[in-house]
Parts: sequence; C-alpha cells; structure tokens
Amino acid sequence: MRYPAGGGQTITFQENNIVNMQPDIDFIKEMKEAGGDTLKKCFQCATCSVVCPLSSDKNPFPRQQMLFAQWGLKDKLLGDPSVLLCHQCGDCSAYCPRGARPGDVMGAVRAAAYRHYGWPSFLADLASKGQNLPILLAIPMVTVFIMWMISGSHVPEAKDFLDIGYSQFFGHWDFKLLPKTTFFIDFFMIPTAALSVFAAVRGVMTMWKKMSENAGVSETFSKPSPVQFVKEFLWPSVAEIVRHDRFKKCEANQDRVQGHQPLMWAFIGLVFVTAYSFFAQDFLGQFIEGMHGPMSMWNPVKWVANVAAVALIFGVGVLWRNRSRMEAEGRATKTFYDWFLIWMIMAVGVTGLGAQMFRLVGSPSLGYLTYYLHLVSVMMLFLYMPYTKFAHLVYRTFALAFERYRDSAYVKG
Amino acid sequence: MSNAAKTGAVLVVGGGISGLTAALEAAEVGKDVFLVERNPYFGGRVAQLNQYFPKLCPPSCGLEINFKRVKNNRKIRTYTMTTVKSVSGGPGNYEVTLETAPRYVNSNCTACGDCAQACTDEIDNAFNFGMNKTKAIYLPHEMAFPRRYVLNKNACSSACLEAVKGACKYNAIDTDMQAETFTLHVGSIVWATGWNPYDSSKLTNLKPESSSAIITNMMMERMAADNGPTGGKIVRPGDNKEIESIAFVQCAGSRDENHLEYCSYICCMATFKQMTYVRERYPNAKIYIFYIDLRTPGKYEHFREKLRTDANAQFIKGKVADIVAESDGGVTVIAENAVTGEKIRQKVDMCVLATGMQPALGEQGKMLGLKMDGNGFVVSEPEKGMIAAGCAKSAADVYTCAQSGTAAALKAIQTA
Repeated sequence: MRYPAGGGQTITFQENNIVNMQPDIDFIKEMKEAGGDTLKKCFQCATCSVVCPLSSDKNPFPRQQMLFAQWGLKDKLLGDPSVLLCHQCGDCSAYCPRGARPGDVMGAVRAAAYRHYGWPSFLADLASKGQNLPILLAIPMVTVFIMWMISGSHVPEAKDFLDIGYSQFFGHWDFKLLPKTTFFIDFFMIPTAALSVFAAVRGVMTMWKKMSENAGVSETFSKPSPVQFVKEFLWPSVAEIVRHDRFKKCEANQDRVQGHQPLMWAFIGLVFVTAYSFFAQDFLGQFIEGMHGPMSMWNPVKWVANVAAVALIFGVGVLWRNRSRMEAEGRATKTFYDWFLIWMIMAVGVTGLGAQMFRLVGSPSLGYLTYYLHLVSVMMLFLYMPYTKFAHLVYRTFALAFERYRDSAYVKG
Repeated sequence: MSNAAKTGAVLVVGGGISGLTAALEAAEVGKDVFLVERNPYFGGRVAQLNQYFPKLCPPSCGLEINFKRVKNNRKIRTYTMTTVKSVSGGPGNYEVTLETAPRYVNSNCTACGDCAQACTDEIDNAFNFGMNKTKAIYLPHEMAFPRRYVLNKNACSSACLEAVKGACKYNAIDTDMQAETFTLHVGSIVWATGWNPYDSSKLTNLKPESSSAIITNMMMERMAADNGPTGGKIVRPGDNKEIESIAFVQCAGSRDENHLEYCSYICCMATFKQMTYVRERYPNAKIYIFYIDLRTPGKYEHFREKLRTDANAQFIKGKVADIVAESDGGVTVIAENAVTGEKIRQKVDMCVLATGMQPALGEQGKMLGLKMDGNGFVVSEPEKGMIAAGCAKSAADVYTCAQSGTAAALKAIQTA
C-alpha cells in the first residue's frame, strides 16, 4: 500500500514489512485513570511539539507520545526517553487546541511506567492507586508502632526529654556498640531502603534495556566503561538537574522552579545531615562520649538540618500551592500520583520540625507522637520511592543520561 | 401559522451575498423587503475577494448582477450604515428599531471625486485591512454600491472639512448630519450578518505583529485583487519584495478551543486558490502548506488534486505553532512534520495565516433575542420568523451562502 503524504513523499508499507499494531486496551485505561483521561481528544496537529520548550528538533515530543498513548502502544511508551525528558511545564496543554492536555498525559505515562518497572509488582500496584491509601499508610504505621511496642513502649520523663530527645525512642540498653534505638531503626529502615534501592536499580536497568531496543542502539559501536558512563553521561545529567536547566526553560508553569529547587537542595542537605548523624553518633559515638543524643542547637550541622527542613517545607509548599492553583484554573488534572508525593514530603518536613519543637518546649508525649509520625512518613518516602512520583529521582536522571548516550559517539560510531 | 395580522414585509439584516440573495428572492415573489447593511456599501466580504469559488470569478461578476436586480426592484428598500438596535413584537408582526449612522454625504453625490482630491487628511483603508491609506472622504471601493462617498468626520480637521465642502459642486456634503433612528414593521427577519476574519493578533504563539511578512488570507485576497493596495501584485508588505517562497499556515485559530472551536470550512480551499494567485505571478516560487488535515469538501477535491501536482509546492502535515521574524525581513515557520516525526524550520519570504470565520453578530445577537449556538452562530427559528442565512448560520463558501440565502427567503415569506 502506498499513502501519499504530501510534497511527493510517500510512506510505503511493503508486503513483508507490515506495521503490526498491538493496542493494549488495559494500558489505555490505566493511563486514563492516572490523569490522562483527555488523551483521546488529541487530533495530532503537533502544536504541542513546537511550543514545548524542551523538545528537540530530531526527537520532538509529545505529539508522537499522544498517538502511542491513543493506540495503547505500551512498549513504545515505556521505552521512550522523551516521556521522562518532559518536565510537565504545561506549555503544550496551554496551547493544545483540543484540550487534550498532553502534559497530563505524559505525567500519566510516567506514572504507568514507574508502576510497570516497579518490583515487587504488588507493591507497585498498591502505590499507584489512591483507593489503596489506607493500606499505604497502614504498612509503615503498623511497622513502626509494633517496633515501638516490642522495644518497651518507652516515653521519657519531661526532665530528661531535652537531653535525650528521641535517642531512646525505642528504649535504651547498655551495649554501646549498637544502641537499642539505632538497632530498631536499622532493623526496619535498612531493609526498607535496601528494597527501595534494589527496586530502583532493577527498574532503571530494565528501562535502559527497553530504551536501547526502541532506539535501535542495542548493538552499540563500543560500550562505555562504568567510569566513562558516569563521567560522560550520568554526571553531566546530575549537574544539569541540580542547575534546573530544563525546568527553567518552562514558560507556562515557570514558578514551579521556585518550589522544586529549594526542595531539591533540602533533600541534598538532609542526606548530608543524616550521613553526618550516622557517622557522629554510631561511629564516633563509640569512642567519644557525648556524641550520643540530640545535636546541640549550636552545632553548624544542626543549622544545616533546620535550614534544610524549612527549605523542604517552603519548597513543597510552593509546589502544593501551584498545583492547587493549576487545578482550580483547570490547567491540570487532580491525580493521586501528583498529590501523594506532595503529601509525603510535607509530612516528613512538618513532623520533623514539629518533633524538634516539642523537644525544645519539653512536651514528651506530643513529641513522641510527632516523632512516631516522622518515622512513619520517612519510611513511606523510602518504601514507595520506586513506584510513586518520587521515582522520577532515578528514572528521569537515567533518561537524561540515555539522551546523551543515544547521541554520543558510542552509539553513532 | 398564526392568524395575527401580518405586515407582509421581510427585513434582511446584512447586505452581503447571503442577504442580497435572500432580499431578492423574497422581493421577486412579491414581498416588501427592507435590506439593511452596516457598512456604507453592499457586497460584504465577497466584494473584498480577488476571486471566489466555485468558478474563481472576480466578485464583480456575481455582485454586479445582484446590485442591478436590487436597483430595479421597487419592492426592495436599501439602507446602508444601518444597524438593528432592538426587536419587539412577534412572528408576523415585529417592530424593529434601527439606527442609521451619519454618512455626511447626501444623495446629491455623483461620485465625481473632487472632494477626495481636496481632502488633506488620510485614514487607514479598512477595505484593504489597513494595507494602504485612503482620504478621509472616500468611495469605499471601486465598484461600491451605492456609489456614494463617505466622510469620516472625526478624522478630518476643520480646515480639511472646509476644503472638502468647498470642492463639492453638488452641495452633497452635509457635516451636520445626525444619526437617525427609525422603526420598521416586518413579519419576519433574515439574519445574514456574515463574518469577520478571526483577529490574528490573538494567535500569540504565531506573533503576527512581529513581522510585516506575516499576513492573513484576506489580506492576500486584497493584494491579489486589481483594485487592491498593490494593484494586484503579491509582494511582501513593508519592503515590497517579490517573493521566492511562501508558507501557508492552515487552521490559524480554527479548530482550536482557545480561539474558534469549529472548522471554518473555507480556509483550505482559500489556500489552494491563493496558491494559484502565487503561481500565476511567480512560476518558480516555493510554496509550503502546513496543515492538520486538508479539507476540500465535495468536488473541490479535484481542485486539490490538480494543485498537489505542483512540483514546487510542499504539503507538510503539522500545524505551525511558532513563527520567528528574521533580520532579512522574512520569517521562519516552525512545525513538527507528523509524517517524519521531526521538527521543520522553514525560512520563507512571506507567510499567510489562513485565519477563519468568526460570526460578526456575536454577543449582540443574544441581546436582540436570537437563539445562538455556543460559537456565536445564529440558530434559525422559522416558526418565530427568525431565520439565519449564510455565514451568520455557519461557516460556508460563497455558493453555499447563496443557497442558504434562497432557503432563508423561502422560510421568511411564510411567516411574513
């Protein structure tokens, strides 16, 4: 068959090269449920690809992805880096002549992708739907509560609270090498984090393979060494993320940078503080008395912690406000996928600062309750990272690396 | 049918091709017809075209015979510069209040043109979409009917007014003329209020004001017309460069819920027609047509097939969503070619926005008690004697409008 395509071009589908379409109806339904309910409105005018400040000349998006979504071409979408290169600026949705909201559809495809790459799949399925929220909350709430019960349901006297803080949340024993509270926290947090990291690594590797297949680069010219990979592809991508280069190109929802950037720095700050705290308390603390217990309010690391906590709440607050406003103005679809991450991060920030405040005012019962909720929200963030919107942390980073790799000498020869 | 006393008269609002047709058809079966027009001339949008479908005739071809029929028919009373202010009453007996804006030139005018020669002040020529100037006292266009000058008094200094008055040998200029309100009793009303080209300045991503190389399809019609601002030359406004390449941007504002939600029906054919204008003048110019779908209803498809064989024309499936003004006076249009899946940046000397049809009546229709659809088109209510015709009813080409005018007349005479 020959189809005239204008300007004398023709697309030829030869007998032995029939394009075989396998629409996946369930996948279409899944995307519609995840906020892409408008995808069928698209009539392929391609306005979106041109107004998109992030799409390139050789690989424009999201027009093609809208078509793939309408046809339910799951494999094409899951292995398409463009889906993750999209930062949902919203310029496409603003200019879309049909109200098809390509930005929301791309978000829905990402939600579906995290779910499909997620392992174990029951956890990924669980974290993808708002109706499962009670279970999603119950898992960490019950876990932490049981740990606290087993450890002896300890609540300190008001007079000791200021000094010991939450360092004896899960009780105290005299075995200095591994304090009881550290033991209990490690007992559930390390497996949680390990699962999370494993799921993310597994997902990213599957994604990379699929992207390579789809882009036809599986037979590469020469493979980069791990060092070359990090140096040439991963590190420049991370640097770009930190600078928010692409985010800043957005026009329609430019103010999201004001939220996302402080939020990202807050996470970097908190990772540093956590690492320091682990090192100081659980390592140096073995040798130097006084390293246990809460840090002095005069410790510069404590300042970093507090600045980061404020930045976290501020950043996520800006994103919260922006999203509410976009939804109120009809510029974005309200989805569990978007809100769950905002809620989780807000919970981590508010309970973290709250627990510190209750310690300083000397209110152990309120403090312990808040600290309990803090542990719950931190565990949630860790546990659900690979399956919720938080997964963009890893998947987008590697998609950016893949984009560089795809155009590099390793592939092009 | 109502038994109430009927006036037997029909009011036709709008004197373009639809209104003229409706008025003539109703009058020629014996009804009294009042034909009112907002502009100082009849003929509407057709008068502004260079050629029109289906036979690519110049507008003089179809309009002249209609004007002659109107002039010779004693059943038709015509009013220019007149608008409907309010409608009351019911089917068979409507009372309509109208207002005629002052023309400042009375029926003594012979269109000799002495006044315009004496006139020192100039205004943008609205008939040519501001592409050239005209004197503040002017004949709207060469074949204007009624053939009488119009004075834009506000644009004229007092010295200029004196000069204009002094130049008129027939005592035709009356600067004290006032707006006149009057009432008509009619049995039914045909709304043939037509359309306006969609305001291209609303297409913010195309930045039409960023370069004079960006024109609209209606400007193209005026340029191609012998009586237009360039005397029929298609050249880039501003520097009058002869064009070597041109891009047509289809669906500029149409099929877009941010602008006109509907397909304007005529723009694809208008572009094909304008390709012939370009080709007649520039046998080797490169022509690029950017489209979502090419819509060529009915037998117009043959016209498309013929033009698609043009070796120097390229059809690109993809809507232009960005236009960048270039330093040499040209523009670069940007689209994604949906067939190849790559973006295309095409530099051209000139670019034509195929803007669509917006119903001219707009919100005013509701105030007059008309039933309107969500896009501002009038919905006919024949049982009430309120009938829509032509582009007031839906976006349409000239011959569909003429058919629609005849159909409206048939309905109108039954209620009148």
